[in-house]
Amino acid sequence: MTVPIKVFGALEDRQIRFRELHGKDGSEVAHVLVGSDGAQVPRERVAKGFEVAPDEYVLMTNDEIKAADAPARKAIELEDFVPADQIDPIYYDKPYHLAPQKGAEEGYALLVAALEKAGRVGIGRVVLRAREQLVSVRPVDGALRMQVMRFSGELVPAKVMDVEEPKKPPAEREIKMAATLVDSLCTEWDPDEHEDEYRERVMEVVKQKEAGEEIEIAEPEKAEASDDLMAALEASLKATKSGSGSKKKKGKK
Amino acid sequence: MPRSMWRGSLSFGLVNVPVALFSATRDQDIHFNQVDSETGERLRVQRICKQEDKPVEYDELVSGYPKSDGDGYVLLTDDELANAAPEKTRTIDISEFVPLDEVDPIFFDHPYWLVPVGEGDGPLRAYKLLVEAMKDQERAAIGKFVLRTKEYLVAIRVREGLLSLVTMRFADEVRPVDDLPLPEKADKPKKKELDEAVRLIEQLSVDWDPGRYEDRHNERLEKLIDQKRKGKTIKAPSEPEVPEAVPDLMAALQASLEEAKASA
Repeated sequence: MTVPIKVFGALEDRQIRFRELHGKDGSEVAHVLVGSDGAQVPRERVAKGFEVAPDEYVLMTNDEIKAADAPARKAIELEDFVPADQIDPIYYDKPYHLAPQKGAEEGYALLVAALEKAGRVGIGRVVLRAREQLVSVRPVDGALRMQVMRFSGELVPAKVMDVEEPKKPPAEREIKMAATLVDSLCTEWDPDEHEDEYRERVMEVVKQKEAGEEIEIAEPEKAEASDDLMAALEASLKATKSGSGSKKKKGKK
Repeated sequence: MPRSMWRGSLSFGLVNVPVALFSATRDQDIHFNQVDSETGERLRVQRICKQEDKPVEYDELVSGYPKSDGDGYVLLTDDELANAAPEKTRTIDISEFVPLDEVDPIFFDHPYWLVPVGEGDGPLRAYKLLVEAMKDQERAAIGKFVLRTKEYLVAIRVREGLLSLVTMRFADEVRPVDDLPLPEKADKPKKKELDEAVRLIEQLSVDWDPGRYEDRHNERLEKLIDQKRKGKTIKAPSEPEVPEAVPDLMAALQASLEEAKASA
């Protein structure tokens, strides 16, 4: 079964992009490649090298690198189908949208409907930019979404972090109060409620600076660790109750 | 122990936990260096001031944003940029908790570990308290903070006994599917086809086991590098075959089912 598709990036870059400049004269900065003697090496002489021994490089062309993951077919090869709710979200990496090519609409619609009905996510492999990736394919809003999956070896296990246990563990009463505080702050997930306010504020700073205003640098307050957990929890609970969780929804038109 | 990306404080109500942020992924890919093909020497990137034609060190750099009249740049230092939201560069403020399964994984970006830091038992206790309060609930704490001049929405939950943080995309950073050339209603599958397709999917269903999928990239690339080192030629790969749409969905489904059964 094959469904010819087209792949579209699912992300929109909204980050404010700054240009790297030389602070002294505001001049633009060029990136060049230099050898140990500091002399510039022209781009056409630059190759990709893999260090096999100290200072010994094996040079590889792009075509040679491509030969490592050369697929027989230009396709997302689905191997397995797994229940969608079994996948821990930590495995999901970069998302893409898939759309049918002309003439493949029926096959595409069938795959969307069948995955929805079966409650499954397809797991397969595809070569993207000369690298074989593990991907998932799932139906969302009547379309197929592909997400690159992290391999299990790419994840750092918790034990590497080597976190100690506290000498005096938190008391049952403290845990209960903290859980009550968590409960009181529970709400439904709505991605539209969260805006990147920082972007706007950065643009304000840019405008101020352009107008010649001085930017005051505030010394950030250092938050202290809470010594008395019980007191901090009690005060937090009191604060959420008096606020009665009304901070949500307000400000929405 | 790897290096922390950020240090600050996780704030939950009036409880503050001093924490450090570590990437929860490790890049195991083979990477190439830029090498001079004539001398075989490794090259490094050098920044050159275009006006002076002289090298510029990293700490001499500032950020430039095009002036509104298009003539030159407004210059900003990192301190000035961080000042847009100074409190957010030091504190991850938890604003709410949401059911984890309600969050579409398209919003998740990079995973990190949050680890307690600081003197004495206090930070460890406060950290442990949060872990204990959250561990039995399939909930994620939602907050925001600024890391290297970008604001991140984050979700924090308990994984393997520690606080696991994942940076998230804002809603306007995810493209909706509205603009895609999607099938029309007329392409709705026939019931018989749908039943066969579901049967095929069920036939090929397994439980999710991330250890089942091996990353074969490095091994293959290492082999080629080794061949090249020994002086062998590596052939450029031939163009992959481009599969076409199947003319008869029902026939293709039935053939696939036969094949799946045979290999099961």
